[in-house]
Amino acid sequence: MSKTILKMTDIAKSFSGVQALKNAALELRAGEVHALMGENGAGKSTLMKILTGIHSKDSGEIELFGEKVEFQNVKESQEKGIAIIHQELNMMKDLTVAQNIFIGREPMALGVFIDDRKMEKEAKKLLDYVGVNISPSTRLGNLTVGKQQMVEIAKAISHNSKLLILDEPTAALTSVEVDELFRIMNELKAKGIGMIYISHRMDEIRRISDRVTVMRDGEYIGTINTAETNTEEIVKMMVGRVVYGENKEKSTCPEGSPVVLEVNNLNVGDSVKNVSFKLRKGEILGFSGLMGAGRTEVARAIFGADKKDSGEIKVNGNLTEINSPREAVKNGICYISEDRKRFGLLLDKSVAENSVLASVDSFVKLGFIDDGEARKTAEEVNKKLRTKTPSMSQKVRNLSGGNQQKVVVARWLIKNSDIFIFDEPTRGIDIGAKSEMYALMDDLVKNGKSIIMISSELAEIQRVSDRVIVMCEGRITGELPIEKATQENIMNYAMMR
Amino acid sequence: MDNKLKEKNSFLSSFFEKSKQNFIIVAALVVLVFLFYFLNPNFLNEYNIISMAQSLAPYAIMGLGVTFAIATGGIDLSIGTVCIASSVVAGKLFTEGIIPLWGTVPVMIAIGGLFGLINGLLISKLKLPAFIATLGTMMVSRGLSAIIVNAPNVFYPTGTAFNKIFSNYNGFPSGIIWVGVFMIVCMYLMYKNKVGRYILSIGSNEEATRLSGINTDKYKIVAYVLTGLGAGLAAIFWSSSFVTVASATGNGMELDAIAGVYIGGTSAAGGVASVGGSVIGAAMLVVIRSGLNFVLAKYNVSVNSTYVTYVLTGVIVVFSVLIDILKNKKKK
Repeated sequence: MSKTILKMTDIAKSFSGVQALKNAALELRAGEVHALMGENGAGKSTLMKILTGIHSKDSGEIELFGEKVEFQNVKESQEKGIAIIHQELNMMKDLTVAQNIFIGREPMALGVFIDDRKMEKEAKKLLDYVGVNISPSTRLGNLTVGKQQMVEIAKAISHNSKLLILDEPTAALTSVEVDELFRIMNELKAKGIGMIYISHRMDEIRRISDRVTVMRDGEYIGTINTAETNTEEIVKMMVGRVVYGENKEKSTCPEGSPVVLEVNNLNVGDSVKNVSFKLRKGEILGFSGLMGAGRTEVARAIFGADKKDSGEIKVNGNLTEINSPREAVKNGICYISEDRKRFGLLLDKSVAENSVLASVDSFVKLGFIDDGEARKTAEEVNKKLRTKTPSMSQKVRNLSGGNQQKVVVARWLIKNSDIFIFDEPTRGIDIGAKSEMYALMDDLVKNGKSIIMISSELAEIQRVSDRVIVMCEGRITGELPIEKATQENIMNYAMMR
Repeated sequence: MDNKLKEKNSFLSSFFEKSKQNFIIVAALVVLVFLFYFLNPNFLNEYNIISMAQSLAPYAIMGLGVTFAIATGGIDLSIGTVCIASSVVAGKLFTEGIIPLWGTVPVMIAIGGLFGLINGLLISKLKLPAFIATLGTMMVSRGLSAIIVNAPNVFYPTGTAFNKIFSNYNGFPSGIIWVGVFMIVCMYLMYKNKVGRYILSIGSNEEATRLSGINTDKYKIVAYVLTGLGAGLAAIFWSSSFVTVASATGNGMELDAIAGVYIGGTSAAGGVASVGGSVIGAAMLVVIRSGLNFVLAKYNVSVNSTYVTYVLTGVIVVFSVLIDILKNKKKK
C-alpha cells in the first residue's frame, strides 16, 4: 500500500450559523484516484475549499505529506503542491496554450521581453509529459473543452502538484474525451500523483477510482474500495434511499394516441441531418446518444431558438411555421435547457417573477399587471411541484439546482404548454431531486402532456422513456421501444457511424 | 370594484416599495440641501429654489427616458445631442414660419422618437453594441442638426403660454408638475406594464427571456424609443426655458442625465431600475451645481464652479454605485 499523502480529520465549518461541515474527513494516498461523492450540498465543495485555502476551517486537522498545514489562501496551497481543476475552466480563451500554462510566471529574456520560444518549448515538454498532442502555440479557444481541460492539467503539473482535485471534470466532455482524460489520469497515477475526483457519474467512478468517500449533510459517512462495492451501496450511503427506481418495462403511452408533433426532414447546418420523428400525446420520447450527436440542436431548431435550414414541423397534424421561440410557445411547445442559469432563469428575480415570465400577458387587467394574482398562481403551481423555497419573493439564485429546475417547469405549466422538451433534465441536480424529477415527468404525461427528453444518462433514459430515439453525428440511427432499449442496443446505435 | 381596488393597492404598494429603496438617496439629497444651506443660507432663497426646480425638468425627463435603455443592460449616449437637435430643428421650423410655436412640441417628440427607433433597430436587429450605436447617432444628430439649422442659434420667444406651461407659470416652476406626471407614467410602464417587465427581464437575462417566448428585439426597440422620446420631451422643457438654443450647447448633458440614473439606483448591468431614483438623482445634480455656486461665491473661492461640480458629481456616482455593489455582496 502506498503512503498516505493527505489526511483531513474532524473538519468543521459553519457559515453565519449554518453548519456546513462537521466531522468531515478524507484520506488520500499517493498514486490513488479517490472519488468524493455526495449530493449537492453535502459539503464536498466546502471541504475542497478548505483544503485549498479558500475557506478557513473552524476546527479539525489537515496533514499533508506528514506535515500539519493550514492554508490562508490558494497561493499557499499551490506552493505545497495542491492544484484544482474546476468544472468551469479558468483560462483565457484568446491566449495560446503556452501563454495560459505560464501565465503570471512567463520566462523572460533580458529581463523585459517575454521569451515566447522558451515558453513554448517548456509547454511542449509538459504536454508531452501529460501525454497529449496539442501545439503550444494554438489559441486556447480553438481547442475543444476536453483539450482545454488537459491544458489545465498540464498547467497544474507544471506547478509540481502532487495532489490534483478534479471537480466534475467530465461534465462537458464527449465520451472519447472522457477516455482520453482517464488515460491521462492513469499516467499521472503511475507517477505517484494523488487525485481527488468529484463526480456524480457512477459509471465513471467505477471505471477510474480506487476508493470512494461518501459525504452526507456535511458529515463523513464512509470510505470503501471501489472494487468491493456497487452503485446501489454508494447511492444508499449518499441518500439512504433508492434512486432511479426500476427501469420502465412497458410504454405507458396509450395505444393509438394521436400524434401531437411531427418533424420531417429537419436539417440544421452540419449538426442535424434529415431528422424525422413523431411524438404522441402522453408519450415520453427519450433522445439518447453521445454528447455532440445533435440532439440539443434538434430541440433548439424545433423550438425556433436556432434557424433551421429545411424541414417541416406539424403540431397536432397542422403544418406550422416556427421561426422563433415566440411562435413555438404560441403552439404549445416549450424547451427546458440543461443550462438553466444561462438559458432559463432570471437569477436575480424572484421565484414568482420567473414562474410567470412566459404568461405575463394573462395577468394584465385594465392595463395593469396584477402581481397579486400572478404570485398566487406561482404559489399554487410551485406548491404542486413541491418547489422548496422560503417564499415566492426569494431570488431563484438562492435555490438549489433541482428547485431552480422546478421553477422553469412551473413557468411552462402556467403557460399551459403541451409539448415539453427537456434537455438533460437532471444535469447538476443531486440524486435525491432526480427521482422527484422523474415522478414529475410521469405526472405530466399522465395529465395529457407530451415530453421529449434528451439525456446522456442511460439509466435515466431507461427509467423514464416510453420510446427511445438514438442519434449519432446529426442523424437518427435507431429507434427502440422501451422493452428493447437495453444499454447495449442504445450504445450500438449511438456509435453507428 | 373589489378587483379594481386591489390593483390600485398593489400599484401603490409597489410605488412605496420602490420609495423605500429610494429612501437613502432622498436622505442624501436632504443632507446635501441642508449642507449648502448651512454653508450659505442664501442658497435657499425663493428665486434659487424656483430656478433649480425649473432647470430640473430637462435633466429629470431625459433621465427617466434613459432609465429604460439602461434597464435592458444597454446605454444611450445620444440623448443629449438628440435633445438639442430636436430643439434647434423645431426652433428653425418655427422661426422660418413653417410651423406655429405649438407645432414645435410634436416635432421635438417625433425627432426624439425617431432617433430612439434608429438606436433600437441598430442595437436589436443589427446587434451593434449599444455604446457604439449610440455614439454614432450622438455624432450624427449633432452634425446633422447643425447642417439643417445652418445658424449658430435658434430663438424661442419668452412670456408666451408655451413658456408658462412648460417652464415658469407666473413664478411657479411648472416643469416640476410635468416631471411628476412623467415619473408616474414611467413607473406604470416600468413596474405595472409588460413593457417594463420584459425590459427588466431582458436586462436580467436576455436569452432566457427570448427562450420564454418573448419578442426581445421588439421590447429592446421599445426601450430605446422611450429613451428617445425622453430626449425629445426634454427638448420641450429646454426650449421653453431659454431664449436662444445653440447647436453647440448641451455638451455632456447625456452624461449628467445618465449619472443621475446611476445615482438613483438603476443597475448599470440592467435588470434593476429605479424610476423615482432617476428623478432624485437628477435633482441631486441640480442641487450640487447650484449649491456649489453659492458656496464658492460666499467664500470667495476663485475656481470655476463647473469644474468643482464635475469633481463632486464624479465622486458621488462612483460612491453610489460602490455602495450598491457592497450591499449586494453582503447579501450574498
